Amino acid sequence: MSENTVKLELLNPRGVVEAKQTLALTPRVTDLTGKRVGLYWNSKPGMDNFYTVFDELLKKKYPTATTSLLRGAFLIRDEDAEAWLPQIDTFVYGVGD
Amino acid sequence: MAGTVLLEKLGKPGVFINCDTFDEDAKSAASDNAMPGVRHCTISSADFYKLRGNVETVRPLVEGVFDDIIDALTTPLTPEEAKPPKVEGDEDGPHEITVTAESYPDATEEFNEIYLNNRWGDGLPLLPPTPERVKWMLSGTSRSPQEVIGKINPKQGVATIEKIAINAVMAGAKPEYMPVIIAVMEALADDSFDDLHVLASAGSFNLLIVVTGPIAQELKMEAGIGFMGHGWRSNNTIGRAVRLATLNIGRLWPAKNDMALIGRISPHTFHTITENAALSQWEPYHTTRGFKAGDSCVTVASIHGSSPLQHFYGGMIGTWTAEGILDNLVNDLIRSDRWGFTRGLSGGWGSKGVGKYPGSGGGAMKHFVILFPELVAEFKKMGYDQKSLQDEIYRRASIPYDDLDEAERKNIQTGMELGVVPADRKAVFEAGMKSGGMVPVLISPEDLHLFVAGGAPGCAFSYDYYRVPPYTQTAILTKLITGATLTKAGAT
Repeated sequence: MSENTVKLELLNPRGVVEAKQTLALTPRVTDLTGKRVGLYWNSKPGMDNFYTVFDELLKKKYPTATTSLLRGAFLIRDEDAEAWLPQIDTFVYGVGD
Repeated sequence: MAGTVLLEKLGKPGVFINCDTFDEDAKSAASDNAMPGVRHCTISSADFYKLRGNVETVRPLVEGVFDDIIDALTTPLTPEEAKPPKVEGDEDGPHEITVTAESYPDATEEFNEIYLNNRWGDGLPLLPPTPERVKWMLSGTSRSPQEVIGKINPKQGVATIEKIAINAVMAGAKPEYMPVIIAVMEALADDSFDDLHVLASAGSFNLLIVVTGPIAQELKMEAGIGFMGHGWRSNNTIGRAVRLATLNIGRLWPAKNDMALIGRISPHTFHTITENAALSQWEPYHTTRGFKAGDSCVTVASIHGSSPLQHFYGGMIGTWTAEGILDNLVNDLIRSDRWGFTRGLSGGWGSKGVGKYPGSGGGAMKHFVILFPELVAEFKKMGYDQKSLQDEIYRRASIPYDDLDEAERKNIQTGMELGVVPADRKAVFEAGMKSGGMVPVLISPEDLHLFVAGGAPGCAFSYDYYRVPPYTQTAILTKLITGATLTKAGAT
């Protein structure tokens, strides 16, 4: 290093993000035949139209599948989740912008 | 994303749908919610936002993603999805960084390049956070550098006093500002406060930071003409230190996990102001928040930063009277807040809201009204202090029940049943909701926050925000400033 070299010792401004145990996904359903598919609509405009088409396509491919549309908050409320869970086997959550 | 994680945790397998603009944000949010493996299907933003208006226009988009959704719901879990690895903690880089160059200007340029490339800067030149300067910054507080004040969203980065000091050095703050910066960060780390929505939402919401009490004068915070502008080191660098701390401790970044589509107005400093204590004839604002007049405090508030400010005039714009400005304010409240009875994203007062709490994210509002000192002197002559003026504005900002339409009546009534109108305010609305009664457009007089700021001449204006924020309990929080070593105020 030349005698004219400038050296800056600097500190890292980032906050430490602590280690965390991550969560596993729930096992999938093997087939949608006869399954109850929950369609969660977080109230952003247009997702109702999306789900209308999805419902048509689903029933064409799986005639015995049923759907349950739930409109709610951006983040599903605990009480809504508790009431909805017994009515569904699997779910689609949209649209997250 | 948190809703998808909640349902998965409750034992239902699912898929999250997001637009491609939000792809990185969705992955980041899945990780923040401790379930990085959430399955998600991505649709085109350019197509969805244009085509979603009706069933036929959106059909091709759904057909294009249908098989992906079915696969996400039915394809068995991979071993990693079934048993995900533990995520190790990190500091996002080495604890110390060395930069060498032929000259000091070259070294500072190199340092700025590295920090901005790492997303550790805000786009303006930074001052080097050397151990010596950080120690100097820490001389402004009696608190231990290792003290943890909480975790900052969205990544839940640990905020220590030292990390706050490092960011304060980079912002160009002085050590005597540290206790104020720490108090703001304590508010942002408080789980009850609405930080995530105002810092990360696609809307350009923003943060109002109000410093009140004697420390503001000791720090020479500007409260006169131009008080919201540039040129005031304490106002500007306190705000900038907080901005850098949100970027670095919370790990926030535009278009990654801060999705404000047009950015946020005053992004480098937020809106950092102080009361004009020298000219105000009222007690400090924080006395209305349960603190003593001699205390020094910081209040943080969520605001609709990109919306036009509501102006009530005054100063040199034209002739004015206190009664005339009061009329402007009341008329504006009636016009703007009556809209909220039935409209808005959440569906008005008759909706539970968009979050966990009744009325969240829409419907009834709260207002942060900034009054200039000459006006407050006139109000004082009229016999008003903050409390009695709140009550008077609340009383006047009411609509005759007989003038409400059916939808408005129904929504207000539903809001009373759902808890949007809290139990302690029900009697007021029960009295108003009948022929001959008057129905306030605000739920409580305490939804009006009155600050005194500006010079002579000044003007009166306000910001507004949801009375209950979308995801948390409160959109306004006041913290006591403590630990000051270089000022008389804030030393407790």
